[in-house]
Amino acid sequence: MTTILRTPPTWPGILLSRVEVADPLDLEAARDRGSFAGLRRAVHDLGATGTIATVAASGLRGRGGAGFPTGAKWRSAAGTEASRRYVVANGYGADPSSMTDRTLMERNPYAVLEGAIAAAAAIGASEAIIAVRSDATDAIRALETALTRMIAANLAGDDILGSGASVEVSIRPVQGAYMLGEETVLLKALEGKRGQPEQRPPQPAQRGLFGHPTIVQNVQTLAAVPWILANGAEAFAAVGSKASPGTMLIALRAPGGGGVAEVPIGTPLRDIVGLAGKDTVKDLKAILVGGPAGGILPAELADTAYEFEALRAVGAHIGSGSIVVADKRACIVDLARLLTRFCADEACGKTIPCRIGLRRVSEIGDRVATGVPRPTDGQLLADLSSDIVGSALCDHERLATLPFASGMRYFRFELDEHILRSSCPAGVCRPIAVAAGAAH
Amino acid sequence: MTDTLPSIYAETNAVTPLDDSVAERLLTTQSPQRPQSTPRIRIEVDGRVVEGFEGQTILEVCRDNGIEIPTLCYEPKLPGFGACRMCVVEVEGEEHPPISCSRTCEPEMVVKTQTAEVRRLRRTNLELIFSDHNAYCLPPCQNKCPSHIDIPGFLKANAEANFTESTRIFKRTIPFPSVLGRVCPAPCEEHCRRDEVDEAIAIRDSHRYAGDQVIKSMLDDGIDPPVPFDIQPRSGRRAAVIGSGPAGMAAAYYLLIAGHDVTVFERDPAPGGMLRYGIPQYRLPKVEVLEAEYESVIRLGGKIVCNAELGKNLTLDDLQNQGFDAIVVAIGCYDTNKLGVPNEDAAEVLDGLEYLRTATLGLPYPGHAGKRVVVVGGGFTSMDCSRTSIRQGAAEVTLVYRRDMKDMPASNEVHEAIEEGVTAIFQAGPTRVITDDKGKVTGIEFIRMKPGAPDASGRRRPEPASGTEFTIPCDRVLLAIGQGPDLSWIGPGSEGPQPTKQRRLKADAVTFLTDRAGTFGTGDVRVGAATVVQAIAEGRRSAYAVDAYLKGLDLGAIKTRQQLAEPQPEFLSIVPFTSEQKEPRYRLKALEPELRNHNYIEYEIPYSREEVVAESSRCLQCTCEAIGFCDLRRLGIEYGTTLQTLEPQNHQGAGFRSVTENRFTGVNHDYIRDDSHAFILREPSRCIDCGRCAQVCSEVVGAACYDFMRIGFDTLVTTPLDMSLNDTPCVSCGRCAETCPTGALMPKPRVLQKYEVDESRCILCGICVDACPYDALRDGGDFELSHTSRAEPMIDLIALAAVDMETEMTYIRRERDWVERAAADGRSVTPTRLLPMLPAAVAAQIAKGETGGNGNGHGNGHVPALTAGNGQSGGDHAGHGHG
Repeated sequence: MTTILRTPPTWPGILLSRVEVADPLDLEAARDRGSFAGLRRAVHDLGATGTIATVAASGLRGRGGAGFPTGAKWRSAAGTEASRRYVVANGYGADPSSMTDRTLMERNPYAVLEGAIAAAAAIGASEAIIAVRSDATDAIRALETALTRMIAANLAGDDILGSGASVEVSIRPVQGAYMLGEETVLLKALEGKRGQPEQRPPQPAQRGLFGHPTIVQNVQTLAAVPWILANGAEAFAAVGSKASPGTMLIALRAPGGGGVAEVPIGTPLRDIVGLAGKDTVKDLKAILVGGPAGGILPAELADTAYEFEALRAVGAHIGSGSIVVADKRACIVDLARLLTRFCADEACGKTIPCRIGLRRVSEIGDRVATGVPRPTDGQLLADLSSDIVGSALCDHERLATLPFASGMRYFRFELDEHILRSSCPAGVCRPIAVAAGAAH
Repeated sequence: MTDTLPSIYAETNAVTPLDDSVAERLLTTQSPQRPQSTPRIRIEVDGRVVEGFEGQTILEVCRDNGIEIPTLCYEPKLPGFGACRMCVVEVEGEEHPPISCSRTCEPEMVVKTQTAEVRRLRRTNLELIFSDHNAYCLPPCQNKCPSHIDIPGFLKANAEANFTESTRIFKRTIPFPSVLGRVCPAPCEEHCRRDEVDEAIAIRDSHRYAGDQVIKSMLDDGIDPPVPFDIQPRSGRRAAVIGSGPAGMAAAYYLLIAGHDVTVFERDPAPGGMLRYGIPQYRLPKVEVLEAEYESVIRLGGKIVCNAELGKNLTLDDLQNQGFDAIVVAIGCYDTNKLGVPNEDAAEVLDGLEYLRTATLGLPYPGHAGKRVVVVGGGFTSMDCSRTSIRQGAAEVTLVYRRDMKDMPASNEVHEAIEEGVTAIFQAGPTRVITDDKGKVTGIEFIRMKPGAPDASGRRRPEPASGTEFTIPCDRVLLAIGQGPDLSWIGPGSEGPQPTKQRRLKADAVTFLTDRAGTFGTGDVRVGAATVVQAIAEGRRSAYAVDAYLKGLDLGAIKTRQQLAEPQPEFLSIVPFTSEQKEPRYRLKALEPELRNHNYIEYEIPYSREEVVAESSRCLQCTCEAIGFCDLRRLGIEYGTTLQTLEPQNHQGAGFRSVTENRFTGVNHDYIRDDSHAFILREPSRCIDCGRCAQVCSEVVGAACYDFMRIGFDTLVTTPLDMSLNDTPCVSCGRCAETCPTGALMPKPRVLQKYEVDESRCILCGICVDACPYDALRDGGDFELSHTSRAEPMIDLIALAAVDMETEMTYIRRERDWVERAAADGRSVTPTRLLPMLPAAVAAQIAKGETGGNGNGHGNGHVPALTAGNGQSGGDHAGHGHG
């Protein structure tokens, strides 16, 4: 079981508020703690339009990484003429370094299911699919049990709470690779095809699963919905930052320890990193924010707010909610090349810039790190990265250039040392360390 | 009934659908109608307002309006896929350029298709593709040929003993196969891949035979030699070519084909230039070969004016005054270089070319017999001088060359010269000519040379080793150390053209324009003395430029077009062909040295027909089959990613590089060719993962043989588990090969010329008719399977209505006995309307109740079954119906 980091008592809890309960699957206990009030209100009082309006007013944004306004997405799906619509909850949790989605589904499956059902009722979808990584067996078991109990309590299935709305929920374990975190790739996988992204527009909200309007929402987004419906849009908007209200689960990894924590969006990175222990902040060299395709931020930027726009401005992104702390022993070039190689190897191979381009970026990194760089490699890296971003199909290739792009932006000195002087300041890249040693 | 057969259509109404049947509904229900007209929208593309339909993509609108956007993965039958990212365009107000194949047009959209930004993105994409494109376009021989002859092409025609076609292919790039078959140094053969199996193909000797056959049939039977391209309608434009050597005549030949009037001016009494006055008779017979080859130019309408020398009785102004719209200067190189040593002006130190000129006219050079002759130089001229001297009875002939034998331009001829009695000395350079007090040459002093640092040509520059001087006593010295052009004609009457620093005529490498308007320079006069094949390549390429000029096209723009027309030299990964059977080269026999060294008879004995076919069959045909159809190659040339310049230095070796070599070069894939399938050849190394085959196969054909496999960099569009296509649901329709933008999927070359249907086994299923993508098998009157026609009466529908669960097998079975069942149902059926296009004679036989034996392949199966009404299935009769 994942460690849940203790957060300051002033930080609000929305997603994991039921975490102390010994049995998270106890439906009655959950109901006592406020679950299902949101769903009841949605199907009885608010109706479809009211639900969407409430979600839109709350300012909730997608937690999958892009931060797209949830209300707008629902409105788009509901407004597209169609014979059927789908809700897909993305609980795939592709990033191996981030256990947030899995933790949420294990600890609070009712919130995910309730949110999915409320979303389905709001956009007029008859089916909600919870896509879970097939090896996350605990999460699957939790969801299945929770769903069975909800159906028994008339909270899912036909004629929910006597409102006449019917939503068929299914838990779909999917097998696949890193790319399944991308919406269109996940939809392809659910259709039984090879997971490869589709060109957007049209967005899945207009043409998604099997060609029908589909809203694909991260499980964290859906889990916030019941809270919003129960407590009102204003209460939610007051939490977190103004532009992106609410809380998020983050997965923190630091030399001193790590775990999952629920943090209000907009919290400075320094405070989040501090959750792993006081020493972590002291020895800080860089913070990798956003998973394997994230940005590498220097210690000087530790005061940046953990928020969509603020992070994008400094060359990182929320991504999978993963935050990895590197201390003084780390070599940024080495880190960036490993991350790029991971992204290159996990590419689906559909587009040229992604399949070959990312591989070439990682080869440049390899050359630099192993002490055989070409003199033009610094420029080549910059040119290639910008061209990959320029003609990218999906966010995977666009973001996979970030480790090097941000690494070069903040740690240019280290890269230059590697290329021009064949030495690794951190002493990590071995052949170079040998070369540097021989020079003395 | 015996007289005429009534039209089948007259009785179509005999079958009426039953009321309220499925058939009736099928017949009466109309398919949903499209709206009468789709709304039109206007968008702005590259500053032009174009109109399209609502819902069309940017790419569709652009293509409809003739605006080209490059694509690799776009398949017009299917929605945009978005894998190649080549069709990126800039849309005003958008951060990232969208791809035009997937982006729907919106009214008032402003699109730019050729901005520097999107062109850079496309170029980067192409470079990335090429960095993992472990393949080659041209075979090395074609690559190394200065004129890029389609060598595998003509060898293939040779192997089929189709010498006219072989010559036609040859003439696409070089008009004179027989001349080149004798005098070409054959750089192609040095790089032949067959060398890795056993020995290089005798490429030159092979086209020599083919060319000779064409000449033979021209002289003996009056058959015109083949013309490589369609001759264009007369343009009414006139071009003057000055010089009738290989460059000039090649230019004239291709200009004539392009439809222009061409007059060739020659200073000598007969045309030919170096071919006539520089190359001796024993290597190139003048009447039998040279004049016969030039005949092909004259037959195209070329006029040759002799005794007209530029600068003497001819000026450029004259020609322009005579109404020539373009002038091509191809006067070659006739000024022999000087040694730069003392006493080289002595009387007996002769210009080698001057000497050859007399000799090639068949006249003995005065006082040559009995002389001791030293020839200085290592090129073809020096070889010709030495071997001609032997033939003219010189007492002893010594050839001296300053480099090693392997560096000699004419190294393959030196053995023959030595056999004939020439003494060859290498690595020695002259220091002075020794004369007696009367100025008569008594000898020449040389100094030994040692190889120094390599120069631009890759050969090591010779440097004198002091103290190694030695003297060769002699009476006469022939200088053959290279030539430059005579440019003294530039001046009054011919003003404008400029010389270069190297004393060549200054002309552009692609447009061939000199500094005088309408005047072009090509051949040796532009590049300096070179081989015949290089001169012809120059002449041909200049003809493109002159043609464009005469058509009033922008000469700047022809650069790109010429680069497209000109096969680009690109290098290659060498594939070992070790499994090939060993079969050594058929060598050309030659006359014994003792027989040939005193006369001018052509000493090489050409191949016999059997030999040339056998030799040509040895070619591995290692070219990329997709050349000319490959979109990747076309775009690579257009975007300059694999482009090699046409500058001569890049033609000579060092300038080549591999296809995969660019700024992104890194790890690449080397896959194994799969030729297990009978019709489709798969070469995954050429695959660019565009996914078109996978899409077409699953969406259009329905077989779904291909998909993307594996992930990351190793992703490849291939069959499941890389199995053979034979093990997939492949229906051999060839659509995948048709859609493949490169040569990764190709129709397999086969020798099968005609299909035969074994009717004793045919079950008349008609699947071949349905499946054939090219309508090669069709329902029709002349076709044996015509009575399975799907277009014939609506029985299928009637039958369909009667059966609930339909399978393919029941459908076929029922179709075969539908007549009986129709009769049983009481529906009126007459035999005549079943035989739509039966010849009257056959119909008569049927009427008489005969059951076949008509012998012409018509009327089997159903016919007896019908007339006899015995309910036998048609197939049973097929066997004896054709006895």
